[in-house]
Amino acid sequence: MTASPREVTGVVGVDRVRSGTRWWIDGYASMLRWDVASLREQLPFFVIIQMMLGAGMALMYGFYFTDIPPVAATYISTGAPVLAIIPVGMTMVPSLVIQQRFEQTYDFLWSLPVPRLATMLSNLTVFTLISLPGVAITLGVAAWRYDIDLAVTWDVVPAVLLSSVMGVAVGFSFAHAIREPRLANLVVNLIIFFVTLFSPIAFPIENFPEWFASVHRVLPFYAMAQTVREGLTEGLATDVARSYLVLTAWAVAGWTIAARVVGRRS
Amino acid sequence: MTTASWDLRGGIGYWWHSYRQMVRWELVGLRLVVPISVAVQILTGAGFIFGIDLLFGGLDPRAALFLSTGVIVVTLITVGLVMGPQFVAQQKTEQTYDFLWSLPVPRTTAALAWLTINGIIAVPGMLVALAAAAWRFDLPLVISPSIAPAILVTLFSGTMVGYAIAHVVPSPVAIGLISQVMIFFILGFSPINYPIDNLPGWLAGLHEWLPFHHMAQVVRGGLTEGVVSGMARSYAVLTGWSVVAIAATAAVLGRRR
Repeated sequence: MTASPREVTGVVGVDRVRSGTRWWIDGYASMLRWDVASLREQLPFFVIIQMMLGAGMALMYGFYFTDIPPVAATYISTGAPVLAIIPVGMTMVPSLVIQQRFEQTYDFLWSLPVPRLATMLSNLTVFTLISLPGVAITLGVAAWRYDIDLAVTWDVVPAVLLSSVMGVAVGFSFAHAIREPRLANLVVNLIIFFVTLFSPIAFPIENFPEWFASVHRVLPFYAMAQTVREGLTEGLATDVARSYLVLTAWAVAGWTIAARVVGRRS
Repeated sequence: MTTASWDLRGGIGYWWHSYRQMVRWELVGLRLVVPISVAVQILTGAGFIFGIDLLFGGLDPRAALFLSTGVIVVTLITVGLVMGPQFVAQQKTEQTYDFLWSLPVPRTTAALAWLTINGIIAVPGMLVALAAAAWRFDLPLVISPSIAPAILVTLFSGTMVGYAIAHVVPSPVAIGLISQVMIFFILGFSPINYPIDNLPGWLAGLHEWLPFHHMAQVVRGGLTEGVVSGMARSYAVLTGWSVVAIAATAAVLGRRR
């Protein structure tokens, strides 16, 4: 008589084989529950902060300059949602990992008996969901404030998702790769600084000197802005295929580094 | 008869000695943080000048003047209002907070030492921001002697308000959150880097009573001619905030537990 491996493994206390799709999905579902439960107090705050941050970004550019021409207003309105996505992956994820290292729960989390990729994907899911309300509110506030008509198409869905996957991956990889929490914290702050003041997200890349623009054609920030803008407007973003490629490359690189760091046995 | 110490714990000499001890204490305690903070301040100051100019594809002279003089204020107050509370929050987390206040020095010297450290961190960033702005925009700056009290009162009121928040609010997490909201409010929603007319009426009205607009007024008044009026009121508001902040801090720190 044969029993399926799922029923009997022959080891006392272990009734399942630790592999296969089913095991993997179970692991993912458990980690999702784990993440939501452990963040239950912070989650509403995260979402609210995201919404305020995004809406605030959209509004504050208008205070710096009172008469903003329509094209500039469209850039700001479509860039602000991207500015709301970036901090989730690139700053909240590292902050959380930094906190885990301070509290010394980091090693425990990665010792849980689930596939490590399932843990990472669960994190990705949670942080993508956190960012979405902020993106929507930001877009709404910006469109209302600058009184612009957006041409929203379904293209915005893959653009936002890919941006989020990319942001979380990059945030993950350096939060895991940089072991000293204070150094990681510094990197986080530098990224925010660079993104808000020196990136063509809410502003046309034509404002940038040529050398700086070429740097930004390789970095992910301009690519995020381009793909999202293409989903929200008509004719403003061109050569989006290239931007998708750049984003995908960064996402793959980020996930590869993160997977290597997380998969290492210590 | 005691042999350990003949010093009286009082008098100017004792106070001055304690102040110097506390400055040394803070400098040693923050020996890794101070250089990084100075670098961050320099980067922020210069970064704002170049960044805003870059993003908006060039500024008109009036906007450039407001931005340049505003960034100086930002570099002066972020240390006291944002970094300072975070340091205190960290002391509370690490539970060294109570120990620090048990040191045998007058508590005013600890506060004044902190103000000194703030100045050490903030002033280099301020100077670099001013130089960057002058170089980038070719500004019609007219530096008058009133810049000295303006910088002092701005640094003092900013540091004291941050100090009050850090000591009055017990939870380190709440202090961290307040300081984050504060930097966002200072940079985005305060008429420091741009004229107050750019704000909607109700927000401009609110800023008549908050310290940020007035800090920008007094500093701008010391660097330009004919841009700012009504500085007496600004000094009065800043003095008011300083007094309230000192009173609140003193009420918390002076208490015996």
